[in-house]
Amino acid sequence: MTPPVSLAGVTFTYPGAERAALSDLSLDLEAGEIVALAGAAGAGASTLLLVATGLAPRLVGGTLTGSRTIGARRCGIVFARPWTQLTGLCSTVRDEVAFGPASYGAPREAVLEAAARALEQLGIAHLAARDPSHLSGGELQRVVVAATLALEPDLLALDDPAAELDPDAADALYAMLPALARAGTTILIATPDLDRAASVATRALALERGRIVRDGAPAMVLT
Amino acid sequence: MIGYVAGRSPLHRAHPYTTLALAGTVLLTAFAMTDPATVWVLVLAGAALGAIGGVLRSSVRTALLLSLPIWALLFVLYGLLGGDPRVMVGPVSLSAPGIARALVLGGRLTAIVLSFLTALATTSPHRLVEAMTARGVPFGRTFLLASTLTILPRMRERAAQILEAQQCRGLRLGGSPLARLRALGPLALPLILGALAEVDEQVLALDVRGAAAGVRRTALDPPPDSAGQRTLRWGLLALVAAAYLWKFWRMRG
Repeated sequence: MTPPVSLAGVTFTYPGAERAALSDLSLDLEAGEIVALAGAAGAGASTLLLVATGLAPRLVGGTLTGSRTIGARRCGIVFARPWTQLTGLCSTVRDEVAFGPASYGAPREAVLEAAARALEQLGIAHLAARDPSHLSGGELQRVVVAATLALEPDLLALDDPAAELDPDAADALYAMLPALARAGTTILIATPDLDRAASVATRALALERGRIVRDGAPAMVLT
Repeated sequence: MIGYVAGRSPLHRAHPYTTLALAGTVLLTAFAMTDPATVWVLVLAGAALGAIGGVLRSSVRTALLLSLPIWALLFVLYGLLGGDPRVMVGPVSLSAPGIARALVLGGRLTAIVLSFLTALATTSPHRLVEAMTARGVPFGRTFLLASTLTILPRMRERAAQILEAQQCRGLRLGGSPLARLRALGPLALPLILGALAEVDEQVLALDVRGAAAGVRRTALDPPPDSAGQRTLRWGLLALVAAAYLWKFWRMRG
């Protein structure tokens, strides 16, 4: 079975940057792994998410050398700021969550079922009829996560996903990740919230200046 | 008021293509009209659209705000500096053909602005997206059009947030026009930089959600269209064609 992502000797440099954001990085992810990425600002965790999901350099620009194989059928990514991830075109939360499946041309009933399932998963079914522009930051972030889950991604990249969430909502978000992983989704989390990440991760990577310096059990790497 | 205002008027309930066709007809017909009387009929048509859409007062107010500086410029350029014959209005000597020309140009502008403000206020961007999706229009074009319709309200909302934050840090907005102009700096820079940074992230987010999937999107709730509305749109197209035929016929005559 093809791994969701396989990187071998990958070096990635942003356009105009003097230093590579990722340097000679090799990584194989297994299906159903929850991998926490730890590192100081600029260590390359967020960039690794962009490279692993295929967004860099395709949409970000820059240069990538080395070998990258993305076996995941569909990738999802969630950033820290929810308001930048909304379409801005949907008048209800349901439509916002349904946007992804609708974009892939799934039949209407299947799209609505996927949206309803994702809303249930995030515990925000009661927000379905609300206007996304009238929600709080925490509610919005859960809408964004639901919108990503509605796509049923094989690889889910989370870039500081709880930044806008209150502690309870952050706990709830992390608590649902193991179930997703058991269903086969590979999850990559870049976050400064190492305690929460350690509580769900099955593997952890420590990054420094674009290189993996430690790779192992979360208890070993994150503490 | 520039942007969508929720409501239940006939224009709000109409298929978005019908509302846009009405505004488009005013725009195209305005350029076919060359005498002040017919242009001002179009201004009345624009106002009538505003009344039907329940947004007359706000659209007239915004249209006046937007077009008054242009009216002033037209008055100076054509009315004061125009050619003979001239007429005296009190102590001021005005160019008669210049005033007529200014009335045509200003009327055109007012009619167009009025009708498009009404279309913006009564066309829900979401319904427009659904209508275009149902017709199989590629998402890139749909997004471009709908984003254009929503950009001003979004920028206004963001500007208000930035101003609030800057005022908390001691920015003063009152005072002389020069002081107000200086206050634009702390507003404009974060507004533009913030918008650019957000666009970058939004592109990535939309891409992973299939915006560029290249398949026909599924419309979830396409707005209902009717034979009557389709007939009206064809009628409007015929009206525009007739207006241009009339224009060319008059030019030849």
